[in-house]
Amino acid sequence: MALNGPPEDNALPCGRSLERLWERLDDGAGGPGGAGRSTDGTDGTDVTDDHVRSCPHCSAALSGLGELRTATTSLKEERVRPARDLTARIMAAVRAEPRGLGAMFALDAQERGRTDISERAVAAIVRFAAEGVDGVRAGRCELHAAGTTEDGTAMVEGRLTVSVAYGVEFAGVLERVRRQAVDACTARVGVLLARLDIEVGGLDDGARTGEPGRSIG
Amino acid sequence: MVRPGTAVPGTEETALVARARNGDVRAYESLVRRYQEPMYRLAVRMLSSSSDAEDVVQEVFLTAWRRLDQLHDDSAFVGWLYRSTTNRCLNVLRARRPMADVDPDTTATRRVDAQPEHAAELNDQVAALLAALGQLTPEQRACWLLREVHGRSYDEIAHVVDSSTTAVRGRIARARAQLAEVMRPWR
Repeated sequence: MALNGPPEDNALPCGRSLERLWERLDDGAGGPGGAGRSTDGTDGTDVTDDHVRSCPHCSAALSGLGELRTATTSLKEERVRPARDLTARIMAAVRAEPRGLGAMFALDAQERGRTDISERAVAAIVRFAAEGVDGVRAGRCELHAAGTTEDGTAMVEGRLTVSVAYGVEFAGVLERVRRQAVDACTARVGVLLARLDIEVGGLDDGARTGEPGRSIG
Repeated sequence: MVRPGTAVPGTEETALVARARNGDVRAYESLVRRYQEPMYRLAVRMLSSSSDAEDVVQEVFLTAWRRLDQLHDDSAFVGWLYRSTTNRCLNVLRARRPMADVDPDTTATRRVDAQPEHAAELNDQVAALLAALGQLTPEQRACWLLREVHGRSYDEIAHVVDSSTTAVRGRIARARAQLAEVMRPWR
């Protein structure tokens, strides 16, 4: 593996390349991938060759590289941790974030105030409804507002990706998913799910999904 | 041999990202717990300030939450976090720089150096390395940390700092040479 870095920048006064010394140090350390590698390299830079052993520049550089490598290993292993409440602070900010919910659309607008719901909230309801069907796991669900019906009911449409347990009868199951999703949108939110494209993204080995109540068994 | 941190993200992580994208806050919390520590470690070594590092990490995860929709590949989440953390740290350091220009006498308080609050936990050799890291340019330091401490690939680092793989290799090689030079008389 050739290095493309400008060699003149890192050449030692004796002309040897620092990078090659570093590579050799790595290989010679018997680390994974380096163990057993021959030391009679073709580039003429060998950690243990005569030049390196007698050259003050090379041996000084090697000692510096050795120190660096030991310190780097310690740095890698150190476990500085953020304050314990960092997760809580991040999640409080996340929960307070109105964005991340998808666009909002109006459920209805009355004199006493309008009611809006996010596309994402409706998508969550669709996913829950889909998972109510045996053998189905819901994946990504993307919905968007699609206007209103003549009587003023908000409409949504979109796509749902599901994984289906191996062995189930597809057509029937997917039609049940669509019906459950439509019913849930009407009953729980009061929106009409006008169109739902369902994509089967994968097949599950029902016994291994580990999702309670989702296996076909 | 897979270097730590370069492992292909597991399907479990990909599934968490997909769920978080659908608005599942608990799935997102799992991702935060999983990745806040490596991001914090990168930030604290970039900034030498635990409070600045925590601010950066908090912003990174809040922004990630907002932009999950724009992440087209769920398995790219971690790389995205590294990129975001690095860039925010570089911005913080750029914002600090004018202070130094205005009044060099006050720069000592903002100087990038071994971190006092953790110094006691570290051995002298690591303290010397941290001091040496403080002498690198912020971009060099970022590249070196991403490569040598976080095990990211040259290609990924190039993407993080908007540079070419060749340039990143050169930058890391020069950083290594400079660090080795400083470490040499340590013993």
